[in-house]
Amino acid sequence: MQVSINGEQRQIDSEVLTIATLLELEKVESPEMVSVQVNGDIVDRKHYQQTKIGAGDEVDFLYFMGGGSTPW
Amino acid sequence: MVKGFSTMAIHGPASLRDSKGALRTPVYDSVAFEHESADSLRRTFEGKKLAHAYSRISNPTVTDFEQRVQLISGGVGVLAVSSGMAAISNIILTIGGAGANIVASKHMFGNTLSLLERTLKPWGLEVKYVSTDDPLEIGEAIDENTSAVFIETITNPQMDVPDCRQISEIAAAHQVPLILDNTLMTPYLFNSGDHGVNIELLSSTKYISGGATSVGGVIIDNGNFDWRNSPRLKERAQKQGSMALIAALRQEVYRNVGACLAPHNAYLQTLGLETMSLRIEKSCANTQALAGYLEAHPRIKGVNYPGLMSSPYHEIADRQFGGRYGGVLTFDLETEQQCFAFTDALQLIRRATNINDNKTLVIHPSSTIFAEYTDEEKLEMGVRPTMLRLSVGIEDHEDLIADLEEGFRKP
Repeated sequence: MQVSINGEQRQIDSEVLTIATLLELEKVESPEMVSVQVNGDIVDRKHYQQTKIGAGDEVDFLYFMGGGSTPW
Repeated sequence: MVKGFSTMAIHGPASLRDSKGALRTPVYDSVAFEHESADSLRRTFEGKKLAHAYSRISNPTVTDFEQRVQLISGGVGVLAVSSGMAAISNIILTIGGAGANIVASKHMFGNTLSLLERTLKPWGLEVKYVSTDDPLEIGEAIDENTSAVFIETITNPQMDVPDCRQISEIAAAHQVPLILDNTLMTPYLFNSGDHGVNIELLSSTKYISGGATSVGGVIIDNGNFDWRNSPRLKERAQKQGSMALIAALRQEVYRNVGACLAPHNAYLQTLGLETMSLRIEKSCANTQALAGYLEAHPRIKGVNYPGLMSSPYHEIADRQFGGRYGGVLTFDLETEQQCFAFTDALQLIRRATNINDNKTLVIHPSSTIFAEYTDEEKLEMGVRPTMLRLSVGIEDHEDLIADLEEGFRKP
C-alpha cells in the first residue's frame, strides 16, 4: 500500500500495518523518543500496537527536541 | 527487560549509545550543530529528524540526562531546565495566565511562594492558598479558572506530608492537573505517577546532582492528564494529545524563556543519577538516626520529621514512601538567639543553604530563605524563629551526633 511518511510517498508491502510494525519496518531511530502523528493527530504511545495504518494515510515521526514549530 | 531503578539510571535506554563508543556520554560543549544540507536543518526544526540544532533548545548531553530521568520516572516526556525554580516557572507560564488561578499549599518553599506571589501575580495570575491537611478545602478552592493544583511531596521547611492520592483524586474530579514538587523525595522514594500526580517537578540540584555539583531542574509529564481540559493547551491537545504539554514547552515556552540546562551540568547530573539510590539510602538512614537523637535531647523543644512516630504525618508518609522519609528535618530550640549560637558552635556540620548535599548542612530558615516576609507572614507559613533546618548528608552518623552534642554544650 501507499503511505506518506514524513511527507514522502512510500510503498509498504504489508497486509496488516500497525504503528508498531511501521516503526520496525522503517527502522525509526530511538523509537522510545519518537511521537507518531497519523493524518495530523498524535497517537498515544500505548496505542501503537493496535493502531492500524491504511492506504493513503499520512504518517509523521516527530521528535520534540528540534526547537522549531511544526505546522500543526 | 531491565526494570531496576539503579540499573536504568546507570545504563539508560537501550538505544542510548555514543557515536564514538564512549561509555560515558561526553559533554557536547557546543552551541550550534552543523547539518549536511538545508533539508536536514528544515527537518530538524520540524521535529522530523532526531538531531540537534542549537543548545538553548536541545543538546546531546542534556538529552542523555532527560532520557535517563524519563526511564526511571516512567513519564511520557521529560524536560531538563536550568534550575528547580526554572522548572516551576516554565510550567506555570505554560498552563497559567492572566485571569487564571493556581490552588497552592500555603506551606511551600519560600522562593516558590515568592515566584507566585511577587513575580507572577502582577501579570494577572491569582493564587489561592489552602491547607493540604484538608483536601476538601482544595476541592472548594478550585473554580472554572483554576489552571492547576500545586503541592510539595514534603513541604520545606514545615515537613507537612500531603496525601497525594487523595489530592490527585480531587484534582482529577475537577479535571485540573496536579503539579508536585518532588525534590525532597525524587522518583526513587516516591513515584508520583503511581499516586495520580500529573506533572512532577524536581530541583536536580539536590539529590540528583550527586553532592551539590551543579544547579538544574526537571519537568516530568506523567502522561495521565487529558490536556483538552486545560484552557491554555486544549487547542494543541486536539492534535498533540498526551504530548501537548511537552510540545508546548519544547516549541514555545521553554524555547522562548531560554532557561536551558548547561551541557556540563547535565553531565554532572547524569553522573549523580547513577549513584543516587545509594546516597539516598544512606541519607535517609542518617536522618532517622539524628531525628531519634534530637527527639530525646533535653534541650530540644521539638523535632519535625515524618519518620518519627510523633510526626502527625507519619502514617501518610509510611504509606507513601515505604519506610524512608527523606534527608531533611527541622527542630526547635527555646529562642532564636539559641539557634544562632548553636549553629555557630557546630564544627563538622556546614552553615549553608541547600538540601540533599553529601555534606550535612544547617540553616535558620526564618532569617534567610524567608527573610523577605514579615514575622506574621512567616508564622502563617509555619516558619518559626526558633526553628533550625538540618539537611542530613551521607557522613558517618556517629560523627554528626558528636558534632550536634558539641553544639548543645556551647550556648
